[in-house]
Amino acid sequence: MKEQYYKSLDDLIYDARLASSEPDAGDRKSILQMKQEAKSTGNSRRDFLKLFGFTVASAAIAASCEQPVQKAIPFLIQPEKIIPGEASYFASTYFDGIDYCSILVKVRDGRPIKIEGNTLSPVTMGGTNARTQASVLGLYDNKRHKNPTYEGKKISWEEADEKIMLFLDEAKKRQGKVVILSSTIISPSTKAAIQEFLDAHPGSEHIQYDVLSASGMLKANEETFGKAFIPAYDFSKAEMIVGFDADFLGTWLSPVEYTKQYAKNRKLVDGEGRMSRHIHFEGGMSLTGSNADERYQIRPSQEKLVLANLLQELRKLNGQAGSSVPSSPVDVKKIAAELFSKKGKSLVVSGSNDADNQLIVNAINELLGNYGATIQTDVHLKLRQGMDEDMDRLVGEMESGQVDGLILYDVNPAFDYPEADRFVSALQNVKLKIAMPILGEETSEHVHFVCPDHHYLEAWNDAEVKTGSYSLAQPTIRPIFKTRAAQESLLKWAGNPVDYHTYIQKYWEDNLLAGSGEASFDDFWNNKLHDGVFESGRNEAEIQAFNAGAVESALGQAKSTSAADSLELAFYTNVSVGSGKQANNPWLQELPDPVTKVCWDNYAAVSPKLAAELELEDEQLIKINDFGPIPVIVQPGQEYKTISVALGYGRRNMGIPDGTIGQNAFPLIQTQNGAKQNYLSQVTIEKVAGEYQLARTQSHHSMEGRSLVRETTLEQYLANPASGNEVRETIKSHMKSLYAQRKFEGFHWGMAIDLNSCTGCNACVVACSAENNVPVVGKEQVIKAREMHWIRIDRYYKGDPENPELVRQPVMCQHCDNAPCENVCPVAATTHSNEGINQMAYNRCIGTRYCNNNCPYKVRRFNFFDYTGADAMPGNKKDPAEMTTDLRRLVLNPDVTVRAKGVIEKCSFCVQRIQEKKLVAKNENRTLKDGEVVPACAQSCPADAIVFGDLNNEQSRISKFFADERNYHLLEELHTLPSVGYLTKVKNKTI
Amino acid sequence: MKLKSPVLWKSGFSPKGFLFVLSMSIFVFSAAAFAGTQTQQSEQDSADSTAVEQSAPTNPSDSVSADSANVEQTANQADTTSQAAMEDTLAADSAPAKSKPAGAEKFSHYRNDIKRGERFFRGLLPHSNQQASCTSCHNITPSDTLNWNPSALDIANKYLEKDFAEFKAVVMEPSGGMMAEVHKDYNFEDADLKTVKAYLDDLSMRGPASVKPTIDRLLLFLFLGLIITWALLEMIFFRKIKYKAIPLIIFLGVFGFQVKMLYEDGVRLGRSQNYEPAQPIKFSHKVHAGQNQIDCKYCHFTVEESKSAGIPPTDLCLNCHSLVREGTRSGKFEIAKVIEATENNIPVEWVRIHDLPDHVFFSHAQHVNAGKLDCIECHGDVAEMDVVRQVEDLSMGWCIDCHRTKEVQFVDNNFYESYEALHEQIKKGEIDKVTVDMIGGTDCMKCHY
Repeated sequence: MKEQYYKSLDDLIYDARLASSEPDAGDRKSILQMKQEAKSTGNSRRDFLKLFGFTVASAAIAASCEQPVQKAIPFLIQPEKIIPGEASYFASTYFDGIDYCSILVKVRDGRPIKIEGNTLSPVTMGGTNARTQASVLGLYDNKRHKNPTYEGKKISWEEADEKIMLFLDEAKKRQGKVVILSSTIISPSTKAAIQEFLDAHPGSEHIQYDVLSASGMLKANEETFGKAFIPAYDFSKAEMIVGFDADFLGTWLSPVEYTKQYAKNRKLVDGEGRMSRHIHFEGGMSLTGSNADERYQIRPSQEKLVLANLLQELRKLNGQAGSSVPSSPVDVKKIAAELFSKKGKSLVVSGSNDADNQLIVNAINELLGNYGATIQTDVHLKLRQGMDEDMDRLVGEMESGQVDGLILYDVNPAFDYPEADRFVSALQNVKLKIAMPILGEETSEHVHFVCPDHHYLEAWNDAEVKTGSYSLAQPTIRPIFKTRAAQESLLKWAGNPVDYHTYIQKYWEDNLLAGSGEASFDDFWNNKLHDGVFESGRNEAEIQAFNAGAVESALGQAKSTSAADSLELAFYTNVSVGSGKQANNPWLQELPDPVTKVCWDNYAAVSPKLAAELELEDEQLIKINDFGPIPVIVQPGQEYKTISVALGYGRRNMGIPDGTIGQNAFPLIQTQNGAKQNYLSQVTIEKVAGEYQLARTQSHHSMEGRSLVRETTLEQYLANPASGNEVRETIKSHMKSLYAQRKFEGFHWGMAIDLNSCTGCNACVVACSAENNVPVVGKEQVIKAREMHWIRIDRYYKGDPENPELVRQPVMCQHCDNAPCENVCPVAATTHSNEGINQMAYNRCIGTRYCNNNCPYKVRRFNFFDYTGADAMPGNKKDPAEMTTDLRRLVLNPDVTVRAKGVIEKCSFCVQRIQEKKLVAKNENRTLKDGEVVPACAQSCPADAIVFGDLNNEQSRISKFFADERNYHLLEELHTLPSVGYLTKVKNKTI
Repeated sequence: MKLKSPVLWKSGFSPKGFLFVLSMSIFVFSAAAFAGTQTQQSEQDSADSTAVEQSAPTNPSDSVSADSANVEQTANQADTTSQAAMEDTLAADSAPAKSKPAGAEKFSHYRNDIKRGERFFRGLLPHSNQQASCTSCHNITPSDTLNWNPSALDIANKYLEKDFAEFKAVVMEPSGGMMAEVHKDYNFEDADLKTVKAYLDDLSMRGPASVKPTIDRLLLFLFLGLIITWALLEMIFFRKIKYKAIPLIIFLGVFGFQVKMLYEDGVRLGRSQNYEPAQPIKFSHKVHAGQNQIDCKYCHFTVEESKSAGIPPTDLCLNCHSLVREGTRSGKFEIAKVIEATENNIPVEWVRIHDLPDHVFFSHAQHVNAGKLDCIECHGDVAEMDVVRQVEDLSMGWCIDCHRTKEVQFVDNNFYESYEALHEQIKKGEIDKVTVDMIGGTDCMKCHY
C-alpha cells in the first residue's frame, strides 16, 4: 500500500471508507445524486425544517406584528431658511493646532454630517485632507468631556469659575506666574483674548507648544532674515522641486494648500505640455517621496551633508568659490545643474527640524533666487509658531516651582511631549492646573480643573493662516455637551465675561473692517461669514536682507558630520492619524497608510536588505533601544540603515473602544540645539519572540503582468501622447461584439481619474465613508479582508525592491456598461440604470456574493455583520469602534441607506448627489450644467484628480478626458466597458 | 407547500410526517395564542384586582394612623404618578395620607368619591337635572367616529393641575358656542362636581384605557387548523365518510383559505393603508382645506423645495388662531391646545401617517414641483377628511404603476433638453408622450440608494 498523507482526521476517515467499500465508490457523489438519494428516503430533516419554518413564519404573520407608532414633531417656530429634509452649508474653518483647512459644513436637520472644501479660499482652494474630512466624527465622540470637572468630579461652570478666579486673585496678590500653554494659535481674536488674560494677570506668560514643531526653520529664518517666521511657499510656480524629508503632500506645514499647488503644476490636460520636476531625498518611503519623479534614499543624519554638497555645487556653478565638504552619499552635481538652470523657478524644502539644515536650505533658495519668486517672505504662514525651547524652559520652571498656575489649552504634553513623565511629575509642583481640552486626554488626568472646550463645529472662531488670509469658523450645531469656548473661559477669568461671538465681531470691526471696502460692519460681517474667508491684502513688514553669515557655520557643522554607520530611527507622521490628535477617530484608524496599506497600528519599517541581514520578516516583533515591542514591515524603498516609526499612536484610554492602538514613539524624540529632532541616531534593534498581526488591505505588490497602471515619461509623452497607452489600440481593435452597444438616453455618467495628479492622500476614502455611511469594521475584520471602503487606492511597486518606483491608482466601482456582476445576480439586486450606473438595491440583495466573485475589479463589499446598528437583530451587530452608539450615528447621512448584515454594497457614483442636482435643475427649469454634479471623492480631492460628468455631452470635461489619448480603462481587454477612465501617469524623468 | 398532485404525496411527503408537521404547527399556533391570551389574562388580572379593591367596603375612619407609615414608604419607593403607586395608596389607605410628597397630595381622593364621580359622569346617578350625561358628549373610551367634543381624558389631563374652582368655573359658566348652549342650565352641587373632578383626576393618572388586541383572525386561523386536522385524520385513520373526496375537498378548501389569510397578512406587513390614527389635536383638514379653502401649500410650505412636505410649525397655526380662538364644532378646547403648545414651548407630537421605509428615498419637491402632481393623487381627497387617512397603500407596485403611466413635463421643462433622442422621436411622431419609466423612472436607484 501507498504511503498515506492527510490534512485532518476527517480526511483520514474518508479515505479509509473509500478503501473498504465497493470498487466505484472512489468517485465522490455529486450533489445532485445526493439530493435524489435524500428524497427517496422519505421525509427528510430538511423537509421538516422547511415546513416548520413555514409554520413559525405563518404564526408570526397571523399574530400580525403591530407597527410602532411614529411621531412627526414639527418646529414650534421654524427658523427661516431651515428646511427639514434639505441640507444647508455653512462656511467654517478647520484648525486643530496643526492642520488648517477652509471648509463648508453640510448640516442636515440640525446636525453637521459632512465636511467639504471651501472653493472660495485662496489658501486651500476647495481641497481637504483625510484628517479634515474625518473631523466631523470627532464631534459625536463619547470620549469628549461632557461637563466641567474638579478633581474628577462633576461641577457646574459657576462653581468652577468661582474657584478658579479665587485662586487667580490670590496668585495675582502674591505675583505668581500663570502660564497659558497652547498649541499654535492662528486666531487673532483668541490671541487678543489671551493677551487680555495676560494683562489681567501680570507676570503670566503664553507659551505655544507644537507637537510637530518647526523650531529649526523658525530659528534659521531668524538668523538669515532677522525674524522667526515661516514663509509662504508656492509649489505651483516651481518648475523644479527638491524635497528633503518634507512630506509636503501629506503632513508638512500646509499639505492641502501644497497639494493643490503641486498638482496644478503637474497636469498634462488641455494641451499643457509642461510639468514640474520633483526630486526627493528621504530615508523612509513617504507619501511625497513616492510621488517624486526621482527619489534618493538618504539617512536622516546624511541630510546635512547632501544639502551642503548641493549648496557647494550650486556655488561653483554660480562662480563662487566653494569650500570643500566631505563628499555626499548621493551625487548631486546633476541636480545642482538642473536647479541652477531653473533659477527663480525652483524650490528646495526640507522637513528637518535642525536649524543648520534649514540654514543651508535658505542659502540654496537664496542663491537660486527663489525668494520673492516661489517663496514669499512678506507673507508668512502662521502655522507652527511654537519654539521647542520655550516648552523645555517651562518644564524646568515647573520643576523648580516657579509656576503657580498652568492653563493647558488644546495641548496634551502628557502624551506627546518627549519627556512626558518629567512633565507629569513637574505638574505636581503647580498649584493650579486647568485643562481646556475637547477630548478626554492623557493630560487631563493630572489637572485640577477640566474646563472642556467646544468642538470646532460648535464654536465661533477666526483664523489668519497666512498674512492677510483670514477665515471664520461658525457653530453648526448647538453644543452637545456642557462645554464652553476656551476663549470665553479665559476672558471670564480675565474679568471680562463676554461671549466669544461678540468678541470676534468686535475684533473684526476694530481691526479688519477698515481695509475691507465695506461701509457697514453688518454687511462686512455677513458677507465674510457667508464666504468663510476674507483677504485683507495685508503684507508683513519688509525683512532684512539675507544674512549669509550663519550659513557658513552650518556648513562647518556639515563638515564635522561623521559618516556614522549605525542604524537610525526616523520619526514621521502619516496622513491618517497625524500627530495623534484624532487618534480615536475610527475613520482615520481604518484608513490604510498610502504606502504600506496598514491600518489600525504603527510599525517599524525596515528595508528589505536590512531585513534579510537581520532575518526580519513582516509582523516580527522587535525592540528599538528600549522602545517596543513593535512589529516590523519590510518596506521596499526604505533606506538600508533607516528604520521609520510613525508618531501619534499609542494614546492611552483613547483607543477604540478602549485600550491603546500602536506604540507611542514620542518618548524617543531627542532635542538638539533646542529643537526636537525627527530622527534618532545610533539605535540598536533586538528581535523579540512572537509575532503581531497587522491589518493590511493590500498584500499584493505587483500588477501580475497586466497593464493596470500605464505610465510614460514626459519626453515620450511629448513625442507621442499615447505613449504608455499603446496597448489600448490593440485592445480596441479586438473589441467586437454581436450585440449592439447600449445607448443611454439622457445622461451617461462617467468618471475620469488623472493618475498624474493623484497623490494618494486618501482624502477621497474618508470623504466617501462620510458621504455614504460606509461602516468601520475594525482591525480583526480588516485582517480577514472584509474592509468596506467603496474606494481604495491601490499602489504598486516597480523595479528594484531596494529603491522601487511607486504608482498609485484609485479604484472604485467601474460602472461597467457590460457589467459581469449584473449577469450573475440571482435576484436582480444589481442592475444597470438608464444613466449607465451599475445600481445596487440593498433590500433585494440576499447575499449570495456571486457578483462579488464575478467582479474583475474587486470593488464590491459584503456586510459580514451589522456594523452601523441598522439591523433589527442585535446578534448581528459587530461594533469594534463604537460606531453604533446613538451619538456616533448622528453622523450618518440620512439620504443614504444604512446597510444591514448580509448585503453587498459598492460605489454608487454618489447617486444621491446626482439625483439632488438633477432635481435642482428641474425645479429651476434648466439643463444640468457640466461639473454641477460632484461626487464626494471628487469634491474632497486636493489635487483635482477626479473628474465626473455626463459622457453624452460632448462638450463636457469628462468627454474631453475620455477623448484624451492618455485615457484608458482598467482591464479593458475584458470588454466590460467601464464608465471610469484613467489618464496615464507621466513621470518627468529621463530613463 | 402546495399539494398539487398525488405524486408528491408519495415521493415528497409521507402522510405520517405531514401529520407530525401539522401537529407541530398547531402546537406553535396554540403557543402563540396562549402567549396572546396570557398577556390579556394579566391585563384582566390587574383590572380585576382594581375592581375588587374598588368595590371592597372601606371605612374612612378605619386604621388611618396605623397605615400611614406604610403609605409613606410605598409612596417614596414607587413613582408617585404611576398607576401602581396610586393603586397601592388606594388599597392601603382610603383616606388621604398626610405625609406624602407634595405632588401626590393634591390628587388623592376618597375612593368613594372617584366611584361616585364616575357614575355621575356616566349619568348613572339620578340627579335633579334633566341634562344628558357627561359621557354622551365627552367619551370615555376611544371612539371610531369623530367626536368634536373633548374626550374625558383630554379634559382630565387639562384640569389635573388646576384646582376645583377653576374646573367649576368652566363647567358652570361656559363660554362660547356649542358649550354655552349645552352647559346653559347646569346647576350642579359642588359636592357632585367635586366627585367628578376626583374621577377625572384619577382618570388622568391612570392614562387611557388599554385597547385589547384583537385575536379574531388568529382564532379563525386556529379554528381552520382544527378543521384541517380533522380532515386529515378522517382521510387517513377514521375513514368514516363514504366519499373520500369530501374530506379532501374540505382540506384543500380550508388550507387554501389559510394560505390566502397568510398571504394577505404578509402583504400587509409594513404597510398601513387606511391607517387613520387619532391625533393629539382634533385638526380637521375638511374644515381647513375644504370649507375654508386654505391651500395645502400654505401649511405644508416646504413641499416644493424639500423632500419633506413639512408638518407646519406650531407658530404657523397662530397666524390665524391668534384671532380665531373658537371653532364652530370644536369650541375652544382644541384650538387652545395650539396656543398652549406655543406658550409652554412644547411642540405638538402628531402621529405620523404616511411613513415610507428608511430604504426608500422620496422627494415631494420632485413630484409636486418638477412633476406637477396634485396632492390628491397620492393623498386622496384630504379636503374631505376630518381625520386624515392613508388612502393609498404606498407599496412599490403602486409607485411603479404610476411611473409607468405618468407623463413627464417633457416639453415644458428645459431640464429634459438633455434627452435629445426622445425629443427627436416626438418630432417624428413616433411617440406622443414621455412617461416616467422612459427616462429611467423604474430604475432601482431612482428611489433606493
